[in-house]
Amino acid sequence: MDFGSTAVTGIHASCVEQLREHYDLENRPVKICEPYQMLGEVEEDLAEVMGIDTVGVVPRNTLFGFPNENYKEFRTPWGQVVLVSEHFNTEQNPNGDVYIYPEGDMTVPASGQMPSNGFFFDTIVRQPEIDEDNLDPEDNLEEFGLISEEDLKHYRDELDRLEGTDRAIVATLGGMAFGDIALVPAPFLKHPKGIRDIAEWYISTAARQNYIHDVFSRQCDHALQNLEKLKEVLGDRIDVVFLCGTDFGTQASTFCSPQTFIDLWAPYYRQVNDWIHRNTNWKTFKHSCGAVETFMENFINVGFDIINPVQCSAAGMEPHQLKEKYGDRLVFWGGGIDTQKTMPFGTPEEVRRQVLERCEIFSKDGGYVFDSIHNLQALSPVENMVAMIDAVREFNGEN
Amino acid sequence: MSYELNQLYDSVITGDNKTSHAITEQALAEGIDPMKLVNDHMMPAMDEVGRRFEMNEYYVPELLLSARAMKASMALIRPLMIQFDMEPIGRVVAGTVKGDLHDIGKNLVAAMLEGGGFEVFDLGTDVAPEQFVEAVREHNADIVALSALLTTTMPSMKLTIDAFTAAGIRDQVKVFVGGAPVNQEFADEIGADAYRDNAVSAVAHAKQCMGVST
Repeated sequence: MDFGSTAVTGIHASCVEQLREHYDLENRPVKICEPYQMLGEVEEDLAEVMGIDTVGVVPRNTLFGFPNENYKEFRTPWGQVVLVSEHFNTEQNPNGDVYIYPEGDMTVPASGQMPSNGFFFDTIVRQPEIDEDNLDPEDNLEEFGLISEEDLKHYRDELDRLEGTDRAIVATLGGMAFGDIALVPAPFLKHPKGIRDIAEWYISTAARQNYIHDVFSRQCDHALQNLEKLKEVLGDRIDVVFLCGTDFGTQASTFCSPQTFIDLWAPYYRQVNDWIHRNTNWKTFKHSCGAVETFMENFINVGFDIINPVQCSAAGMEPHQLKEKYGDRLVFWGGGIDTQKTMPFGTPEEVRRQVLERCEIFSKDGGYVFDSIHNLQALSPVENMVAMIDAVREFNGEN
Repeated sequence: MSYELNQLYDSVITGDNKTSHAITEQALAEGIDPMKLVNDHMMPAMDEVGRRFEMNEYYVPELLLSARAMKASMALIRPLMIQFDMEPIGRVVAGTVKGDLHDIGKNLVAAMLEGGGFEVFDLGTDVAPEQFVEAVREHNADIVALSALLTTTMPSMKLTIDAFTAAGIRDQVKVFVGGAPVNQEFADEIGADAYRDNAVSAVAHAKQCMGVST
């Protein structure tokens, strides 16, 4: 079971607080480990009591471009006191909306906004005017440079910290995601250039494919160089690498045709996966929400080992069929409980039944890591989260 | 450069906003009836875009491109429609509900509705129930289209419908709901009139509601 090892398998801070209270763990403010989605750190004591089998190593900087260090208290719009990085600098407007700044620099425009009744940030698009005839792919590559010594030291320190852990280590390697829509607006950059608007980026995947190829191919070159250096630091001390969170699915379909995936993405995914499989024993982890059944064969072909979050509520994502068609070639990491309906709005018994059913299907003959479908979201009732954890134990014969 | 009028149809389908804008400008300068441009060229083009989307020939990026091309034309046509009191098929107030800042789905629905002949008043994102109530009254809307991407903001849809009831205008409008976590069951539960899982079918249903055959 994984909860908390990555930014796509996490738990919202409000839920972490509820779980800590339920399990009678030490009463202390939850640390925000991922400020964009306001994910709470799953500390060792909570991981132990939940029965979590993974632990994460994440890049030095958060999505807002600052490191998590020298924590301070922050009162969230929903009234929870949490611990945030000293660089987590925010401003509130009269309506109660909260604005956050890239690298914590309040002299530049804010890059994230949390509505007064919201539970996490959304990026504020800062799109410079697009001069169609003079688009320069370099403008979209500012964040995809070569890895710094400081970043490498961070990974080294993190692994030293986890020395001797009996959990599987999942490392998130920055810069390996091609066209992740959450990263396109670059909330971590002070003055993003290039194509940064979400709709404009999607349009570009159809209308400016040469530009996208240029961006991806230079990004890929840097990624391969960075992998050389990362391998020296990470060696065989990690088990899984979370490479890419680019979502290809909507609730009912995909964002592009399988052929566009083959033309535009596959060459770069293949290079990164091939390098990793040739040079390391890491398993590669791909995240894509939505109805991506028609892409599974391609995910396998380009070399991904693991798919997450396995959104069974989306069109065509029927658990039995997924397992039957792809289960011998792909690890399913997720799919354990629906977070759009069952977890927030169902009863504990409905949660239990779904978890048992999904475990039964996905764990047959191995190749399954239990996880909810994406992060556990705010307003998930604690009794449902506990029912989920208990059901996994029940399935494993631990009760 | 001189254009043939039927290139307007092609420019919307291929998402060429510069051409759609230029043809419209030329056509209007030549005195062609703006409603003819809408009814004979743009609406059929958007119907074809919708058909391609349903057949998995088009995806979200192509819809966005076509919507942009259509909007480039409508920006020229809309002021004339208002000036000469030309009636749209219906009036729609659209917005993403309170607490939610996501707008791609809502923008697509709004653009496709506009391309389908509706006049759309887009209130943007994070729209409070009272803003929806006010807009429905001000624009005498036939339909309200509510969007939510988050499970945490789905309750805002119910609050908005409740606000229509409290304001005594619930029966005046059809309430459409949509967005990733929304489904028919939820729509029924909160008393919405319609749920659709994509922009194309939302337009088709909106036309039905207005008694227009599709």
